[in-house]
Amino acid sequence: MYISLNWLKDFVKIPGKTSAEEVAAALTSHTVEVEGLLSQAEKFSQVVVGKVLEAEKHPNADRLRVTVVDVGTAKLQIVCGAPNVAAGQMVAVALVGAVLPNGLEIKEAEIRGEKSYGMICAEDELGLGKNHEGIMVLNNKAKIGQSFAAYLKTEDIVLEIDNKSLSNRPDLLNHYGLARELSAIFNLPLKDYDKFFNSDQQKILMGLDEKKSGRKKSLVEEGAKSELEVKVEEKELCPRYLALRVDNVKVEESPAWLKERLIAVGQRPINNIVDLTNYVMFDCGQPLHAFDADKVKKIVVRRAHPDEIIETLDEKERSLNEDNLLITDGQKALAIAGVMGGRESEISPETKAIILEAANFEAATVRKTSQRLGLRTESSVRFEKSLDPQLPSLAVSRFLALLKKVCPEMKISGHLIDINNTKNEIKNVELDLNWLEEKIGQEIPRERASAILERLGFAVVRGEGDFLKINIPSWRATKDVSGKEDIAEEILRLYGYDNIPSCLPALTIAPPEINEERRLERKIKNILALKHSLNESYNYSFVNEDWLGKLGIDFLKHLRLANPLSEEQTLLRQSLVPGLVGNVKSNQAKSDNFGFFEFGSVFFNALGNLRKDIDPGSRILYQEKRLGLVLADDKDEPFGRLKGMISGLFQELIAYDFETEFLIPDIFPAWAEQSAAVKIIISGEEIGVVAKLSDQAKTNLNLKKKVALAELNFTRLAEILSAQPTATFKEPPRYPSLVRDLAFVIEERIGYNELKKEIAAFDSLVKEIELFDVYSGIKLPAGKKSLAFHLSFRSEEKTLTATEVDKIQERLVAHLAEKFEAQLRDF
Amino acid sequence: MKNKLIKLREEFLARLAEVKNSEHLRELELKYLSRKGELSEVLHGLKELSIEARREAGELANKIKGELQEKFLAISESLGQGVEKIGASDPTLPGEKFPRGHLNPITLVQNELEDLFISMGFMILDGPELESDYYNFTALNVPPSHPARDMQDTFYIDHKNKDGEYDLLMRTQTSPVQIRAMQKYGAPLRALMPGRCFRNEATDARHEHTFYQVEGLLIDKKINFANLKSLLEIVGQKLFGPDTKLRMRPKFFPFVEPGNNGEYTCFLCGGKGCRVCKNTGWLEIVGAGLVHPSVLRAGGIDPEIYSGLAFGFGLNRLAMLKYNINDVRLFNSGDLKFLEQF
Repeated sequence: MYISLNWLKDFVKIPGKTSAEEVAAALTSHTVEVEGLLSQAEKFSQVVVGKVLEAEKHPNADRLRVTVVDVGTAKLQIVCGAPNVAAGQMVAVALVGAVLPNGLEIKEAEIRGEKSYGMICAEDELGLGKNHEGIMVLNNKAKIGQSFAAYLKTEDIVLEIDNKSLSNRPDLLNHYGLARELSAIFNLPLKDYDKFFNSDQQKILMGLDEKKSGRKKSLVEEGAKSELEVKVEEKELCPRYLALRVDNVKVEESPAWLKERLIAVGQRPINNIVDLTNYVMFDCGQPLHAFDADKVKKIVVRRAHPDEIIETLDEKERSLNEDNLLITDGQKALAIAGVMGGRESEISPETKAIILEAANFEAATVRKTSQRLGLRTESSVRFEKSLDPQLPSLAVSRFLALLKKVCPEMKISGHLIDINNTKNEIKNVELDLNWLEEKIGQEIPRERASAILERLGFAVVRGEGDFLKINIPSWRATKDVSGKEDIAEEILRLYGYDNIPSCLPALTIAPPEINEERRLERKIKNILALKHSLNESYNYSFVNEDWLGKLGIDFLKHLRLANPLSEEQTLLRQSLVPGLVGNVKSNQAKSDNFGFFEFGSVFFNALGNLRKDIDPGSRILYQEKRLGLVLADDKDEPFGRLKGMISGLFQELIAYDFETEFLIPDIFPAWAEQSAAVKIIISGEEIGVVAKLSDQAKTNLNLKKKVALAELNFTRLAEILSAQPTATFKEPPRYPSLVRDLAFVIEERIGYNELKKEIAAFDSLVKEIELFDVYSGIKLPAGKKSLAFHLSFRSEEKTLTATEVDKIQERLVAHLAEKFEAQLRDF
Repeated sequence: MKNKLIKLREEFLARLAEVKNSEHLRELELKYLSRKGELSEVLHGLKELSIEARREAGELANKIKGELQEKFLAISESLGQGVEKIGASDPTLPGEKFPRGHLNPITLVQNELEDLFISMGFMILDGPELESDYYNFTALNVPPSHPARDMQDTFYIDHKNKDGEYDLLMRTQTSPVQIRAMQKYGAPLRALMPGRCFRNEATDARHEHTFYQVEGLLIDKKINFANLKSLLEIVGQKLFGPDTKLRMRPKFFPFVEPGNNGEYTCFLCGGKGCRVCKNTGWLEIVGAGLVHPSVLRAGGIDPEIYSGLAFGFGLNRLAMLKYNINDVRLFNSGDLKFLEQF
């Protein structure tokens, strides 16, 4: 939002020595963030006043003139297309190098053979109106060579305010509201808003209370048109509706002062009537709307019918529904309440009479309508913050006062219609000053607190003891301020956050509960990155059908976003694998071999165990944290390396001699090569999977590397690991081991684990079993493989003799022959 | 050709047997084995032979070359020194390369913050990334008509409740963990809640729809604004150095009252103004405030007995400042060339 410093000065006398920067800093410290300062004069840099000395017909073009203009420092030849240019005129000249408010950059040019060193400007080119009929002829106050900004007396500075920092403040999207803040911050008097109405307008307002006072509607002209009929069908959605007919208006271009102010706050001037409604909105915050009275015989405020259509002022057709509130003539829609007017009843140059609307619409309805239509307007952003219901009558008076100035011959016809369903009650809050001191950490004297509140428009009624009873002003009471905490904030922000001394809380020393899961996560991250040289990836939680399809993953059961940002990210991931495969793809050209890991959540369409809302039995959807790993290699299949990495990880986490089991899975992941896929078993429980990426997936994704992936349920893993006893020291063996190397030839289908378990369970003297070679090939019969082990035999009681070991070995060989048809292989 | 090779071999071996010192050895290497040595010369002649003859001679040549190199190496080691290739005696050469892995910079910054707060008695808590509308908004004093709930800001899950409304979403902030923490642990409470958050907005160098926050919550009896200020000062000094100053500004967050943003003096220029702080001397880093009574109530805590303070940081922003990263999208890019730098 743009706020004009000059405009603020209408309401509060900011001393001359206070700079715009100081005003901005004060607002930022106490009220809202000022993001920038724009000097209006800068808009006209390189634009100067010049005198046209000659204006001759262009030798090669009928419509152009070749002029000579005195700009003080030089006499410039300028080619000009305007019909009204003539010698003797004082004009605005944009010099070479100027960038005009409409974005036009002035360069030296040659037009049909004649040199041109600048441009004589029309109003629209200077952003001062939409007149492009001819050049702007300046009045007799203009001096040759003077900067155009100085001629305009444009010394205004515009404050750019961050709208987000006032989203809770319905009272601040206007100059009067911010002037009130400045008056409170600088302790300066604020002019009453009704000082800006002349007595006539005040009488009109009093006419409102005609029924109460019994007074005659003195201001209504003789022979006024018949009374306008206004009906509000939705009292909740439209708590207040004011309408007034004004005749004898002349629609024309606004006067300079009006245009200048609107331009300063970033509005395009349109015509005097529309400009005045906008002016009042930026003045006091109340959106107004003016209808062409000839197009409006009656006003009915009602909900839209399903699929009802209205063409809005921006010349677009809008389709509405029953959640949208409309201003209608009983049948046809005239305007979308609080959002935008309709085209049909728009003010046009032919308009002779207007109906002015000043209303209060319910915030949520305006917001929903504006959201659904994608139509955010200056009006809707104000209404959606819950405006003060007292404001419409002030705005009407202000509008009339200004209209009298702009259109002196206007006549008010009929009296002001005011359908008021607001409760005119004053809300109040009780504040205990002891509580306030406790809350802030410092005493704020009663006088200081009261003064701050009163400057902001709160009425302080001194209560008993340390209590203050405070009436909330109507412009703060709609939503923004309701409790003592809100009052504390008002006092604190004006007292100054920087004036509160800091003080650490006096708390009992208590060691925090340790988050074991997170501690484990950090430990694993360090092992994987620092020991196994993997890189930590953070992939998006969203995936798409195409990518999953290429990996062979069924995407139908994936949760979907209702409003995805792009086609690339429509589904919630159920695995970290797709993201990690993506990491391989995007890096395969950058490195020969590499690996990534990721900790991340995955999401399922099933109820989880966390609560959803106030009902303790409600549940949100199931999600779990996973650990994913990927290795990519140019030469060697990384499947074995990845299994080794996982075994190593658990040895680090559990015990140095811990054994991770890899078994054939019951269900293969869709992306896995079935011949190289295993489930990971820790303490008898399946915790994840390791597999080679399928050739099909690699072809689909155009991956050049050999790839292996692993995925583990980290949430469960953390639980299992926390239940593991601490690994304790084991006495080194007292007697030596006898090591025998044995290779068994078995059927391909018999897994390593099966054979190994059988050996381990065979005799307690078998202490260590280490696989050192696997072979299958031409030297063995088809369908057979050989597994070669170092077997360590050891007793805790004595040194074993070779004979003793031979005997065990013999029995073992016989046992395995019986169990697996295993045969001993000679080396 | 064959004969030449055999002759060369014999000659070399004979002379090698007589070698007494490294100088001698070096001479031998130059004469026979170096790039311009006799062996190379013979091998060079290979290309003039027929294909058949070339293969035969080539095999022999390679065999002899291997043998000679091996024997040369053995002698040179027995003389108590390695093969003297050019530069091999330079002890300032770099060491062997070892592979290294890398943590994401977000993890590094998050660890730093976690450690700081653990040292001050805070628990570290996690919460779900897929949240309910209730925990993400309603319980945090964001009523249904608040603009923060608009569709353009929040990713909703295409999963309607029995009233036909979308009431599940990707959390837009870590703040719902505040409510879950209060419900689980009650008061007093000290917790730090880091995590991934989502906003439905287009990405560019400065905006990312998936980002990381850290949020802190302290609830006890008589927690006040002076406490908040003091805590934030300590955090700033830990993050940006002992001379860092804090200033606080009003800022609206629905779940705190008063609501503030905290700015720290720029760590780069010390407050004088520079490119990083856009010449203001200050960096906007933290959102903070005293916990709104309705938020305490939603967490099951009586605001008449307890009060609290809360604050939050954007981890992406902290990491960008710390490491001078200019594009927020890099964090989620999985780009090795980025990750390798941390």
